[in-house]
Amino acid sequence: MSTEHIAPEKASSGSFINNPRNRAIFYQALLLLGLGYFFYSIISNALTNMEARGIKSGFDFLTSAAGFDILMTLVPYSATSSYAMTFVVGLLNTILVSIIGIFLATLIGFVMGVAYFSQNWLIKRLSVVYVETFRNIPLLLQVFFWYFAVLAALPSTRESLSLGEIIFLNVRGLFVPDLIGQGGSSFVYGSVAVAIIGIVFMRKWAKKRQDETGDQFPVMRASLGLLFGLPFVMLLITGFPFTWDYPELRGFNFQGGITVIPELMALTIALAVYTGAFIAEAVRAGIQSVPNGQTEAARSIGLRENRIMSLIIVPQAMRVIVPLLNSEYQSLVKNSTLATAIGYPDLFTVFVGTSLNQTGQAIEIVFMTMAVYFAINMTISFFMNRFNASVALAERK
Amino acid sequence: MREFKPQDALPAPIESAGLVGWVRQNLFPNVGSSIATIVIFAFLAAVVPDMVSWLFIEANWTGTTQEDCTNDEGACWVFVSAWMQQLMYGSYPVDEVWRVHLGLISLAAVIAAPYALPKALRNKVGVPLFLLYPFICAALLDGRTFGLEFVSTDYWGGFSLNIFLAAASIIIAFPLSFLWALGRRSDMPFIRSVCVILIEFFRGVPVLALFFMGSVMLPLFFPEGTNVDKLLRVWIVLILFMSGYMAEVFRGGFQAIPSGQYEAADSLGLSYWQKTLLVIFPQVIKVSMPNILATFVMLFKNTTFLLIIGIFEILSTTQTALSNSNWLGGHAPEGYLFVAFVFWVCCFGMSMISTNIERKLDTSHRN
Repeated sequence: MSTEHIAPEKASSGSFINNPRNRAIFYQALLLLGLGYFFYSIISNALTNMEARGIKSGFDFLTSAAGFDILMTLVPYSATSSYAMTFVVGLLNTILVSIIGIFLATLIGFVMGVAYFSQNWLIKRLSVVYVETFRNIPLLLQVFFWYFAVLAALPSTRESLSLGEIIFLNVRGLFVPDLIGQGGSSFVYGSVAVAIIGIVFMRKWAKKRQDETGDQFPVMRASLGLLFGLPFVMLLITGFPFTWDYPELRGFNFQGGITVIPELMALTIALAVYTGAFIAEAVRAGIQSVPNGQTEAARSIGLRENRIMSLIIVPQAMRVIVPLLNSEYQSLVKNSTLATAIGYPDLFTVFVGTSLNQTGQAIEIVFMTMAVYFAINMTISFFMNRFNASVALAERK
Repeated sequence: MREFKPQDALPAPIESAGLVGWVRQNLFPNVGSSIATIVIFAFLAAVVPDMVSWLFIEANWTGTTQEDCTNDEGACWVFVSAWMQQLMYGSYPVDEVWRVHLGLISLAAVIAAPYALPKALRNKVGVPLFLLYPFICAALLDGRTFGLEFVSTDYWGGFSLNIFLAAASIIIAFPLSFLWALGRRSDMPFIRSVCVILIEFFRGVPVLALFFMGSVMLPLFFPEGTNVDKLLRVWIVLILFMSGYMAEVFRGGFQAIPSGQYEAADSLGLSYWQKTLLVIFPQVIKVSMPNILATFVMLFKNTTFLLIIGIFEILSTTQTALSNSNWLGGHAPEGYLFVAFVFWVCCFGMSMISTNIERKLDTSHRN
């Protein structure tokens, strides 16, 4: 066989115009010029427009006092705080709603996704109906439904629904007792941290032992034992250094405890239920992607049914599920901006809503907000990609 | 000689055949499952009769005002029927509503055209009609171009606006996103990075932030004195948002095309655009169709977000109706259920179509 190579330059010994490299340079230069003109014109337009409307530019506004109160803050905040503080409060509220939402959505999604494969006809139908109903209704409508139709129909403060006079639910929100740590409580928190570190090491050791000897160690039971046992022992030693702060009806509203405002409840329920439907669909697709032969092979080597699920099916299904989860989590964070429709004070509501209205500095504020959502999504993507790498098929090297 | 006579087969045991067998196998296979069945049945028995009664049996169906809703035990569907005109067409003048209908019918016609037209005309007539549809439809609704009564975009609204905006956005996003996806696959580094930034920007940012950008930032970017219509700005934002997502769908499609197709086209001596448009594009469209529909369903649902920047689409109209002083009876459940039903029918229908296409295209050997 001839191994003669024809150099590409010689093959296209045509004119200068037909040389692909020259053409590439030409097209890219054209795009660069076009983009340059585009940005030049919008920037100069923006500058003249802003001057004409008397809008300031720059980030000086961040240090000036915001002058408005926020419905719910996780850190101390008052009307005299700066816009930078508003930003932080909003960001924390966004992160709070995202974390609760992601947690609940994953829980609902996995339960409903696995329920699709139930032997029980009713459970399977329930899963299908859930997915097809909530996936196909706009999220904003669901937020409104929970907020204006369900939570607004709850009883007033005086006629609160209560669970053992400890937890109260009414039109103003959900009131739960707060756990307040005293002297010695840091030992209990410390023991939780020690338990978690202990679990990580134990898992490594158990895996190594199984690889060497084939003996299985009850990792799950031992982990749970450590996680609950160690803090419990610590609680006994330190003599329960906690007090409960119960919510109490004083005047027109409940005082004390933790208050979950209805805006937060409506938003998290809607986000969790809506995203949960998509996650259930992802889980279903993931499990279906594992060929039947895997189950049959596992049965033929004598694995029990629940072992088949946890050792054979789920690890293979995760390869399909994790990339889908990644995009669902990201869309949940982006969709949390709908908070602004019901007035939950997330980053979007307090910053793009109120702060922008007051300062008029649209460009800075919109870009700051966009950058934050971008950064949150990048973080999610980073962790999910690492998780994905750990469940991915180990290719032959 | 004794003849061998097989006995008749015994019937299947009663517990494994027929209705009893089905119930045993599917509802009470083991203890845990039986408990679950009983719990779900108890729940359904507690909820469904009341719900059916509220929704249909005790509901108030006829009338025009809130006073006609005499039965408090049932839903007040009069609320929906009284506001139907607004919910569907917004404040569009009643005498001119035929234009909205014509627009919707021509949308269906434009989608059906490629199937109905003879093959020779498909690309020459069907595709240009499809791409021109948004502009013709906008002109029709606006009215000035055709010498009809002028209807300002402030009066457009309702569910028809949701449909028009979603359709007009995806149609323009088709060619645009295809270009972005091509750019992302290009060998030219600068073009590639510009496309990557565009796609990732419009995918990574909340659509609500984009709408705000369209309503508060875009006006700053236009030359002084130009006043661009709000709906037009929203349309631009929707197109760009949609293009980001569609470009990724197309990229997936490109990756599904075997490289032999590219090489075969190259060896025939086709130019880049001939190769892309005649060989690759038709195959990409085919494999991406389910994902395109899924993306469209997402866009369609997201048109309700326009409420936040004050566009009178269906949800926004519902909110207005709910706060109307003649209808302050707490009709939120009825209003939301109606809107949910309308969207559900459309979105579920589209997802059925997409599943159908997927099944038709799926030639792999499923177990």
